[in-house]
Amino acid sequence: MDLNRLTNEKKLQLCRWYFRVGCALLPFVWAVNVVWFFKEAFMKPPYNEQKQIKKYVILSGVGTIIWAVLLSAWSLAFQIKRVSWGATGDALSFIVPLGHP
Amino acid sequence: MSSLNFFMWFLVILLSKDSACERLHEQIYSSIEGGAACFRRLNGTHQAGCTSPLNGAVGAVHMISNISDAQWMIYNSSAGPYVAVVNTIVFNEVIELFMQEPSNVAGILLYENATERPEFFSPETQCPNENSAGSDGQCAGDVVWNENGSGLLRRDIPFPIFFLPSSRIQEIDKIIQCHDRYNLDKDNQKGRPLCSLQLSSFMYAAVNTAVCLRRSATSIFGIAIKMCDPLGDYNVYYSLFPRPKETAKEKKQVILVTARMDSASLFDGVAPGAASAVVGLVTLITTAATLSQMIPQTEAASYNKNVLFTLFNGESYDYIGSQRVAYDISQGVWPPLSPITSKDINLHVELGQLGGSLNLFKDNPNWPLYAYAPYTYTIPPQVTEFLAEMSSYSQTNNMTIESEFSINMPPSSLHSFRKILSNATESGELPEILLVDHLGKFTNKYYESALDDYDSIGYSYHNISISNDGKFIPTDDLIANGTMSENEAQVKIARVSTSLAHTLYQQIVGTAYAGNISSSAHLVDEMLYCFLRSQACRLLVAADYYSNEDTPPDDRPAPLYVGVAALSTPAALYSGHLLALLTGTHIQVNRTACDNIGTPGFSYYYLRGWNQSGICIQTTMNFSQAISPAFIKPDYNITSGEFSTWTESVWLGLWARVFVRAAGVGARVAAAAGAFTTILAAVTTYWLQRHASVIFLTPVADNGVIRSVNC
Repeated sequence: MDLNRLTNEKKLQLCRWYFRVGCALLPFVWAVNVVWFFKEAFMKPPYNEQKQIKKYVILSGVGTIIWAVLLSAWSLAFQIKRVSWGATGDALSFIVPLGHP
Repeated sequence: MSSLNFFMWFLVILLSKDSACERLHEQIYSSIEGGAACFRRLNGTHQAGCTSPLNGAVGAVHMISNISDAQWMIYNSSAGPYVAVVNTIVFNEVIELFMQEPSNVAGILLYENATERPEFFSPETQCPNENSAGSDGQCAGDVVWNENGSGLLRRDIPFPIFFLPSSRIQEIDKIIQCHDRYNLDKDNQKGRPLCSLQLSSFMYAAVNTAVCLRRSATSIFGIAIKMCDPLGDYNVYYSLFPRPKETAKEKKQVILVTARMDSASLFDGVAPGAASAVVGLVTLITTAATLSQMIPQTEAASYNKNVLFTLFNGESYDYIGSQRVAYDISQGVWPPLSPITSKDINLHVELGQLGGSLNLFKDNPNWPLYAYAPYTYTIPPQVTEFLAEMSSYSQTNNMTIESEFSINMPPSSLHSFRKILSNATESGELPEILLVDHLGKFTNKYYESALDDYDSIGYSYHNISISNDGKFIPTDDLIANGTMSENEAQVKIARVSTSLAHTLYQQIVGTAYAGNISSSAHLVDEMLYCFLRSQACRLLVAADYYSNEDTPPDDRPAPLYVGVAALSTPAALYSGHLLALLTGTHIQVNRTACDNIGTPGFSYYYLRGWNQSGICIQTTMNFSQAISPAFIKPDYNITSGEFSTWTESVWLGLWARVFVRAAGVGARVAAAAGAFTTILAAVTTYWLQRHASVIFLTPVADNGVIRSVNC
């Protein structure tokens, strides 16, 4: 969808919706929101709804970063510690490695 | 135009004529056939054996003829990793270096030296099954049983190893040819095309039995990948007299006569076990056959003792078979029909490792045996009695048997009984005797290895035909007519068997044996042939099911490795059927009638028989599971080490191939060209986009007709 073809009101509505949907544990929606509305929020000449759009973009951005930190921490911990977790590690694995600890 | 086309096609066909019949793959790779791979086994705490990476281990061929070749490969080579091609003579010398510095070793291709045998070659540890010995230990003091054991069978080997028997020496010639053509210039190997080997033996299981069984049970969307199987097979037992359900009054004491029937080696499908197992196994079956002729089953009621011959399977792996039997006895469920308790065991005679010294004494009629008895102060009376009788019968048969009283017993299934059953008896002592042909360390230099074959016991086949009634020529006749000599393994084994059978007779009947029945060296000759040379032998054909319509077995010995419990191996079946055929009663009925008889205490087998017309055999022989109690006992702690926990990894395929590896120049050029093209394309695209207005006409002002897709 080309944002340039939407009215400012529609833009705000869309940005708000993406933020709300992202609240349902969907950080990738937030990430999309940040990328998509970044120009609208920070680079376009000011307009009425821009302030609110900015708010949603910042919130989405912060959420994305928190999620990213959490996910990478978990991923790192899992990769490093899976073997020493033993049975728990195996239970958490979707694909159990063949021929390796 | 069409004639030109035709000409072009003709040219293409003409040019490709030489290679048309061979696929590109076949032009590059040459497969190494007949190799046996080292594979992975696991116990409760460790993994042992070898694995290759998923796509196989690739390394340049390096021929190793002495330790300095190995050192060059480890420390000075430039085109590593390498696959070391080693023969059995040099292997002992270099393997420790490879194990310590594996970084430059992609794998090992071990081939049997056809002309010379190494002085020793055993992958087993110095104290076999040490951790499953009874409380009094087994390698205590300064006796190291398997002095030259490398322990590879129990170690985690960081690279794959393949073994080529001497019958496959042409494969080695092929590799040498390739090596000499490409790899001879040792100082300038880097960056050159090199003759290389690829060894593929990827193993699914890892870590230990607990982990791999757990992972095998884990399923994703209902699909579980099996990674390992417990080792196990069947034990075989046969009682002299039938043992239906006995009342307490008529309950007979039993003399247990046992031997192991399995062996091992590092490699898949290679476990000849001549001195490790076969001589003991053959002695036991021959003794049972002789004893069954000396005491007819109909006289059962006259005696208050019975003999229970038992062959244990899986003994190489922490005594799987005997642990199970001892455990089942302690639970009161073995043998199933009429279980015995440890109190019912009057005496336990184990035929331990026999045959290792046969080659040492091949030029004279001696074959000194030793009877180990684990007592220091009070010797059970039945042990003393048995040893005295056995010694006197041995002398009559020109054999010597020396008693050795020591708590420090050689590896044998007696350890299982001592470990599991000694608490069950009041005195904590079980009346046990172990017959072996080594005093102290093993005389068998190839214990549980690929080289423990017929040669190691100096056996050569006589190929004497068997009469249609299954009568074997007595040993004395064979010697009298010069067919065999007193020095031969067959004769010596027959003598031991005779002595044991006569001793057992006296134990049961109470009086000395006065008849003239003895074990036949002819029978021993045939049986050794079946287990050491070829499964397609007279005895096994006669002992096969009449209804068996499978293709006859290969003309090679059956490997004696116990294998996984899920698939039965032929060794137990062969031994059981031989016991049935040689000791059972021949009943004159046809096949249907034979299948329908159900006298308690007996089994009925319709076998081919000596003239292959089919005979109905009534026998007390039976099979019982040889799966470790560890996999049976509920809530067993698999790391406790109480019982055998060996499992074998699953693998997809074991193969090796030789090929010439490219120098790597071509691959580097391709990579560089690829990278260059990608960057060029990116730059061009960027430039085109920036200067699109120069190339394309500016579109007319937006007139409302939008050509791009609007979503």
